[in-house]
Amino acid sequence: MNAAVRLSVSSLRAHKRRFAGTFFAVFLGVAFLAGTLVMGDTLRASFDSMFGSATSGTDAVVRSADAITTPGDSQGVRQPVRTDLVSTLQDVPGVAAAAPDIEGAGQLVGKNGKPVGGQGPPTLAGNWITDSELNPYQLAEGRAPQKSGEVVVNRGAAKKGDLKIGDTTTLRTPDPVKVTVVGLATFGGEDGMAQVTFTGMTRADAEKYLTARPGEAASIKVRAGPGVGEKELVDRLTPVLPKGVEAITGQESAEENTDMISSQFLSIFTTFLLVFSGIALLVATFSIHNTFAIVVAQRTRENALLRALGASRRQVTATTLVEATVVAVAASAAGLAGGIGIAAGLQTLFPAIGFPFPDGNLVISVLSMVLPLAVGIVVCLGSALLPAARAGRTAPLAALRETAVDTSGASRTRAVTGMGLAALAVATTLTGVLVSPSIWLAAFGAVLALAAFVVLGPVASTSAVRILGGPLDRLRGVTGGLARRNALRSPKRTAATASALMIGVAVVSLFTVFGASLKATMDQTVSRSFAGDVAVSTPSFGAGGSGLSPRLAGAIQQIPEVDTAVGLGRGVAKVDGEGRALTVTDPIALERTFDLGKVDGSLRGLGTDGIAITRSEADKQHLTTGERARLTFTDGRTQTFTVRAVYGRSELAGDYVITRAAWAPHRTQDADSLIAVSFKDGVSTDAGKAAVQKVADRYGNPEVQTRDDYAQSSAGGIDMMLTLVYALLALAVLIALLGIANTLTLAVHERTRELGLLRAVGQTRSQLRAMVRWESVLVAAFGTVGGLGLGAFLGWVLVKASDGASDSAFAFAIPPVQLVIVALVGLAAGALAGLRPARRAARLDVLRAIATE
Amino acid sequence: MTTATTVRTAARVVDAVKVYGRGDTEVRALDGVSVDFPVGRFTAIMGPSGSGKSTLMHCAAGLDTLTSGAAVIGDTELGSLDDRRLTLLRRDRVGFVFQAFNLVPTLTVAENITLPLDLAGGRGDPEWIDALIDVVGLRDRLHHRPTQLSGGQQQRVAVARAFAGRPDVVFADEPTGNLDSRSGDEVLGLLGRTVRQTARTVVMVTHDPVAAAHADEVVFLADGRLVDRMESPTADKVLDRMKAFEVPS
Repeated sequence: MNAAVRLSVSSLRAHKRRFAGTFFAVFLGVAFLAGTLVMGDTLRASFDSMFGSATSGTDAVVRSADAITTPGDSQGVRQPVRTDLVSTLQDVPGVAAAAPDIEGAGQLVGKNGKPVGGQGPPTLAGNWITDSELNPYQLAEGRAPQKSGEVVVNRGAAKKGDLKIGDTTTLRTPDPVKVTVVGLATFGGEDGMAQVTFTGMTRADAEKYLTARPGEAASIKVRAGPGVGEKELVDRLTPVLPKGVEAITGQESAEENTDMISSQFLSIFTTFLLVFSGIALLVATFSIHNTFAIVVAQRTRENALLRALGASRRQVTATTLVEATVVAVAASAAGLAGGIGIAAGLQTLFPAIGFPFPDGNLVISVLSMVLPLAVGIVVCLGSALLPAARAGRTAPLAALRETAVDTSGASRTRAVTGMGLAALAVATTLTGVLVSPSIWLAAFGAVLALAAFVVLGPVASTSAVRILGGPLDRLRGVTGGLARRNALRSPKRTAATASALMIGVAVVSLFTVFGASLKATMDQTVSRSFAGDVAVSTPSFGAGGSGLSPRLAGAIQQIPEVDTAVGLGRGVAKVDGEGRALTVTDPIALERTFDLGKVDGSLRGLGTDGIAITRSEADKQHLTTGERARLTFTDGRTQTFTVRAVYGRSELAGDYVITRAAWAPHRTQDADSLIAVSFKDGVSTDAGKAAVQKVADRYGNPEVQTRDDYAQSSAGGIDMMLTLVYALLALAVLIALLGIANTLTLAVHERTRELGLLRAVGQTRSQLRAMVRWESVLVAAFGTVGGLGLGAFLGWVLVKASDGASDSAFAFAIPPVQLVIVALVGLAAGALAGLRPARRAARLDVLRAIATE
Repeated sequence: MTTATTVRTAARVVDAVKVYGRGDTEVRALDGVSVDFPVGRFTAIMGPSGSGKSTLMHCAAGLDTLTSGAAVIGDTELGSLDDRRLTLLRRDRVGFVFQAFNLVPTLTVAENITLPLDLAGGRGDPEWIDALIDVVGLRDRLHHRPTQLSGGQQQRVAVARAFAGRPDVVFADEPTGNLDSRSGDEVLGLLGRTVRQTARTVVMVTHDPVAAAHADEVVFLADGRLVDRMESPTADKVLDRMKAFEVPS
């Protein structure tokens, strides 16, 4: 065996514990990364097979060729096809069956009166296709709907709403429809298509409630007769289709569905997780670097002896690198195994918490094996590179020196470089935020700021620990004083240890500040634009929910307490060729309950050919009042509208407003997303709210909220996002804490003699433990405070950059309570990290420690 | 010693036995040693390497526990104390001077001197500490760190620290082992003067006859047993006695 290899192997064996921290840091980071990749692949494959098996009976799908896609919506809205096309299709040779597929939003109300689902995945309703091979759902229990009011519900939705066969409930389409469950269905053998809820009605009911006009369907599904392939079927169908209608194969349709899930949900999900495993690995880099730096410093004498005995620089460097390689390979391999284990665990855990994770084997691609391994090894070796080089530079004479502890502090060069970086970072970010708003410039500045913090760490750690530890002297006497000075001993080491935690805390604070700012923005939006007294809305998120009945606003208007009630519906159209969302409402009432800012022209008299536009959109499209815009609707018809008003604030009212009368000829399944209600003078909010609620009860019981409640519930998704982010960041913080614990353990080892002396002259074990713990808390405090500062700054940058990049105004808010909690958690975690090193230090044998040689 | 009542002991061991290891590897470091260290005296423990002199000191000072027999400080039997009480006893009633690494590097000279008092949370006796600082002659170094001091100065700080809490007894383990002879003489002179001027008790382990000559009395250990005592030693007399050990007895 090569001498360097032999030396490093024996050293690893002798100091297993020292590398436990490094091992775990790499292990956790790699496991997270591998788990994410494997889970992403597995989910994608599962959805693939789920859609494949569900549509295996469908050989072709006939639908309108053109979709109108609005920004931020990947799916697009298609014009419906006429159902009378079905009989034409059935006559085509090779067609075994054809059935219209009517699709719309329909949210079930559960047994407890609460809506089922709606928090993300869609809540769908449609006609129950009687041809069992064309129907993606299979009847599991009960029977198919035969008369009006009978429905089949997918089993997952039934379970969530506690609905059984024979139960009667309400389906919000959004007009409340009284339905009786007569059957339960499965999707590809599962309780449902993931979390999507589905209610199948008779075709007549579906046409009545889910389409604007009878005789229309979203698409027509076609099954081929024996001996006719999918491709061939499409070729045969195409000639009989009217203009603007196309046929695609069943496989293409399945692929489109998978792609839609992939792009909408899976890629966001995996990218999100990958970002956080990246953060975890970045934090791990600091911990690993620190461990190797300390180990090399402690081994100065040994390395110097090797150099004196004739080992070359390269051999000494190689020794450390080989050690790092062994740890890296072992930890990465273990991490890969752990990651696959995590994915497997989640696969069994998801169904247990009610998320039907599609069946299927784990998909472990070559990429998800190679990438985590490579990243783990690169991170570990990269972190060990500098310490290894330092080991090689050890002077042979160092063997003769008394102590071998790295006490190097902050050099001038470092301070100057750091300050330069910091100045550059601030300048770049401020330019990106204030002067010429650019997210990229701001992001580059943020990265520079992080680098500046890391470089300046050792410079700052001395004064920071001195200030933070100031109260310790008074509070904890000599124990606290000693802890503070121990933390001051090696500023570089303290800074490196704290940096890991700092990054974790910075990201936590960044999200906390950004979340609070978003909430404040919502608040500001509602209080600025919403002039009504109460809002009626269906609490939903993502694609879920079915909105409000378009008749509800009218019903509320009839209440004696109500002055104005205005419903906001949504429509889509191509405006001069580009897909845009429209607000369909009563413009006159809109102006009374919403503050639209400065209005040029008038919202009165939009009629059936007038449109109102926000100023920002008007500028973009180069439109002013009196000019014309061509709107193409989903039914394929194009109509010219005249711009009658240009208004300032788009926040709640949307960018384009047309009247209900103008929308009516082109409407699809109508729903309002929000009804704003203002009361007559002298009506108290409580009384008015109660009256509105009473009417709302008859329309599927949507929620009636005061202005404040509405603002708060609009921000509900933000809390959900924050909780998820915190959970994911827990890993990075855990790695940082392992780093602190590891550094302390090594420090305790290094100070054996000194600790022995303290014990000999009368330091009790509990005082010794407290001393180590306080040191840990101080290091954590430095990291936490730095992280809070950096995170708040980056949060501000993000908010300002978003503000500059988008039309709506963002508010910046610092949530003091949450940040104090973050700080306390950081400190408590520091104390926790110090527990084990403290216990080990206290177990120290006094005599061994003070024995002279 | 006819009038036993007039001589109080600061520390003593009775039938002290200390065994390391078991079976074949058993080593009897102390094999039935009984010795008193009277108040106000400077006693040196001498003996060749492996005679058990360091073990005796460690056990008498409560740093280590005896296998059998008793170790007493003042009138407290150490065997009955748990680790915490033992620590408190060391802190409040015993002082230490070790051969090296006596000082906490992060603390200043002044802070090192008052370390046991600070650990106890008390203020000590400022006048006494003030006087001590003059005795050891380090007034101009109070705010220095240990690394800024010479070896001799560091040991003088250790001596001041050992006496700071007016302990019943100060144990010194080869306090001059790492010093040149001039610095060593200074430290030993300091120990002797402090004992005589302030009626303190010092027990010092050494293998150096010149160091032992500074003591009031020398006790000789060999193979874990007490073999001799010598009043008013001189370096020559001690050296002669030590030479006798080399000759098989």
